[in-house]
Amino acid sequence: MTKIDPHFADELKKYGAKDFDACFNCGNCTAICTLTEKSTNFPRMMLRLGMLGLKKDILASREPWLCYACGDCSETCPRQAGPGQYMAAIRRYAISAYEPTGLTKLMFKSNPIFVFVTLLIAVFLGFFLFTLKPEYEVSRWIFAYLPYAVIHNMGLVIFGFTGLSMIWGALSMILNLNRNKDKKEKSDVSFFKALSLVISELTTLKRYQNCDTEEDSFWKEKPWYVKPWLVHWAIMWGFIGLLVATSLDFILKDPVTTIWWPSRILGSIAGLFMVYGTSLAINYRWKKVTKAYSETSAADWTFLWFLWIAGITGFWLEASVAFGADNIATQFIFLVHTVISMELVLLFAFSKFAHALYRTLALFFHFRNQG
Amino acid sequence: MEEKKKKQRIGVYICHCGGNISDYVDVEQLRDIVGQEENVAVSKNVMFACADSNQKEMIKDIQEKQLDGIVVASCSPKLHLHTFRGVAERAGLNPYNYVQVNVREQCSWAHSDHPDQASYKAAGLIRAGIRRVSSSEALTNIEVKATKSVVVIGAGVAGMRAAIDLARMGNQVVLVEKEPVAGGQMAGKGPVFPTNQKGQELVDTLLGEIRKLSKITLFTSATVDKVTGSIGNFKVDVRVNGTPGEVMSFPAGAILVTTGYESYAPKEGEYGFTEGSRVITMKEFDKLVDSSNGSLSYQGKAVKTIAYIYCVGMRQTKGENKYCSRSCCTAAIHSSITVHEKFKGIKAFHLYRDIRTYGKNEILYEKSSKLGDTYLMYQEKEPPQVVQGKNIVNVKIKDSLTRKRELELDADLVVLVTGMVPRKDSQDIANKLKIPIGSDKFFNEIHPKLRPVETVINGVFLGGSCQGPKNITESVQSAMAASAKINAIIRKDTLELEPIVARIDAEACTWCGKCQEVCEYDAIFQIETNGKVVASVNDPVCKGCGICAPICPADAIDIAQYTNDEIEGMIDGFSQQVDLNVEKGKSGQEGDAGGMKDFPQIWKSIMEDLLEEPKTIPQIAASLQQPSELVTWHLMTMNKYYIVESAGIDDNDEYFLYKLKNQAK
Repeated sequence: MTKIDPHFADELKKYGAKDFDACFNCGNCTAICTLTEKSTNFPRMMLRLGMLGLKKDILASREPWLCYACGDCSETCPRQAGPGQYMAAIRRYAISAYEPTGLTKLMFKSNPIFVFVTLLIAVFLGFFLFTLKPEYEVSRWIFAYLPYAVIHNMGLVIFGFTGLSMIWGALSMILNLNRNKDKKEKSDVSFFKALSLVISELTTLKRYQNCDTEEDSFWKEKPWYVKPWLVHWAIMWGFIGLLVATSLDFILKDPVTTIWWPSRILGSIAGLFMVYGTSLAINYRWKKVTKAYSETSAADWTFLWFLWIAGITGFWLEASVAFGADNIATQFIFLVHTVISMELVLLFAFSKFAHALYRTLALFFHFRNQG
Repeated sequence: MEEKKKKQRIGVYICHCGGNISDYVDVEQLRDIVGQEENVAVSKNVMFACADSNQKEMIKDIQEKQLDGIVVASCSPKLHLHTFRGVAERAGLNPYNYVQVNVREQCSWAHSDHPDQASYKAAGLIRAGIRRVSSSEALTNIEVKATKSVVVIGAGVAGMRAAIDLARMGNQVVLVEKEPVAGGQMAGKGPVFPTNQKGQELVDTLLGEIRKLSKITLFTSATVDKVTGSIGNFKVDVRVNGTPGEVMSFPAGAILVTTGYESYAPKEGEYGFTEGSRVITMKEFDKLVDSSNGSLSYQGKAVKTIAYIYCVGMRQTKGENKYCSRSCCTAAIHSSITVHEKFKGIKAFHLYRDIRTYGKNEILYEKSSKLGDTYLMYQEKEPPQVVQGKNIVNVKIKDSLTRKRELELDADLVVLVTGMVPRKDSQDIANKLKIPIGSDKFFNEIHPKLRPVETVINGVFLGGSCQGPKNITESVQSAMAASAKINAIIRKDTLELEPIVARIDAEACTWCGKCQEVCEYDAIFQIETNGKVVASVNDPVCKGCGICAPICPADAIDIAQYTNDEIEGMIDGFSQQVDLNVEKGKSGQEGDAGGMKDFPQIWKSIMEDLLEEPKTIPQIAASLQQPSELVTWHLMTMNKYYIVESAGIDDNDEYFLYKLKNQAK
């Protein structure tokens, strides 16, 4: 016996699920969704859980993360209940519920708080950054007021904290996913097989490629290189590539300044992918090309713009390194690039970025229980 | 009865119906066969009998060839009986000397897979028609003087609306209301869909109109005591309670029944419904909402969560009320919207079986969803469980929309959405007016689609929800339709009724009273003629149902158009040998109408076959060279009629043996 919570629907609306309670359970969304399988409850049952306030069930579902938000369901919903937008909203809800601090809750529910926190962190990161670049004029000015060690330790504490939050979020999700696990559901697929399936999915985005294949879909006749799955692929692998390249750079401590150094080549290519992907994604959301792109939350915009700016500024820095142009403008660009990149990492568990972790986990358990 | 003169010059027209008939029935052979019949002067094939050109030709034939009876073999009399009666009349022939034979629905369409048999059957039916017309009498319609006044029973919205319409069309109206105030279910009612006007406002508007019309007399606290007479001349006795014992009589050309419905009253304990609980009916809830201002509270506690349970007392698979009340879904959703608009912060849960906000009211359903109302679906077999707690009602439901999950809900108030049931006193009204009540206990119309406001009693009409669940719009529509229908009848000074009624042979009648006993319509009464007590028929009241004719021990009753002569003639005509030259192979047996003589023949063969020794079905089939299904079918019938019986199982333990009854093994 599960108790209905009459107020949960209103709570979900704060995460961006606007008219989902207009749903009259026709199941059109489930029928149209190419990812619907026997073992998944796309998306009608998820809406149902929200309407009845069964929040534990939502948090125990993989489905929010298996959805790639193609928007076919919203496009064809006879009640304009926006099942696609609803799925995005419960992802936001889950992100804020899995992490321990409640910070995400505040940020997702209120745009002013979101902007304030983002700026606050940016300012802090700015200070922190100067501590790493003591030769900068401003750095010397700061150190007059705050000792280097204090700032440095504070930075370590905060990064440690974000890392712990991430782990907490992951554990919390795993516990939730397995709490209400149907007893009939068998883990037929081995750990490693499931892992390889996850890797294969992340590499090819095969499930995402299944989306938008309906006859009358907007994307049906479009070339492959502008399709949403490819855009997502470019952003994802662009970011991963850059992360690897930056780490290599950090480890190798800038041994040479040539752009032909392997880690630099990797960074350049990955950066191109990421800028290409984010540019298209921003464009789609700006022009609202389909229903899926028509409602963009502050969290979505921030995430995309941060990635885009990080990519563009990255190329500027590469160019200035190559041409040895170390001036005020470059210092400023460096500041922006690093602040934004670090903020992305710092807010990982508290932002849209967390989907990278949760989707991967959800895919893993999905494949593991597929049989 | 005196021996009537048979018709000498009969005209027969066999219709092709543009191929509908002629593609299967051999109309040309039939024309030739029929042409040789005794007393048939004209026998023709026509492409479309109902066409203007043919109607003119028929008139010409009747007049030139002095036809004294006509038969048209075409479609159902429901379609064209009146067309051809009209033809006869225009040609100067009595319209009742016309007989229509249905060779389309009953022959070509029904037996399109056996065209030869269809032809045999058509031949039989046409001959029956010829015999019938040859014995037919010239009849005249019964004329009745009509009183231009109407008694309307029940002053709800339907009754009031009808009274206004009838009065405006120039009729006197007596409006009889049982309750002390007019308005019926809408009296004192709050906002109702689809206009959101208050129910009482509707009543006030109609009452305002009624007051302006001097032709309407409204009696409240009044009941109908007795109804006598018939269409055109009813006499309705009305008892007015305010004046004890006073009964007033009103003449009425027609009576309109608009007695309405009752709300289903939940049984004690049904969904936790009991005195003082927080489970109330829709009607009580609407009153609560209408009388509350600012905030909604019940029994001193604020109401924030409301659970509506739908289909209470309705759509019972096993119970009495099998029907759907069709307006309650919309009414409940409308109330829910009204609640949201009037009070803030209320959450509503609708526990339904199917939502039927049909037509334009679908937008209310959508609106309520968008206002955040949650819908949960239960199955009749597993109704919600309601437990009254302290200041709260706990409702458990197996929600079909959530994979039948068992869900639990704490509500401040549970509203039982009850449907419409027939009024308890409707049997009393039915007895007084002799109108039939359906299996659902609502009054029955003649035909739900084709004659929706008339009853089988001439001159008694139905309006509103006494006939079945209706919303206000539908009630008013049906009441207005009935008013128009009534006015169309009584506006003429005299009414013409079909003369198909029972007739008493006063010489043969010895008055035993049996006919009066069986007559459902009280049309038969006792009179004294020439010093003899005999039965007599009140023609306008008689429906010609024929129940009195076979009951009469003296055979003194005949029904016009269905006299013994006519019926016997039809049987003779039908069973006559038909010599048709039809395609071989398709036909089963030749030489009779519709293969009706098959049965005795095959029975005889089976009996002969079983004379020597008991046999199994396959053995009989083999020796008769008939398919075993056919043998099984007939043998089982013979078994049922004790012609054959089982004689144990055969040596292979495979089939039963059969032997003739009373025959030694």
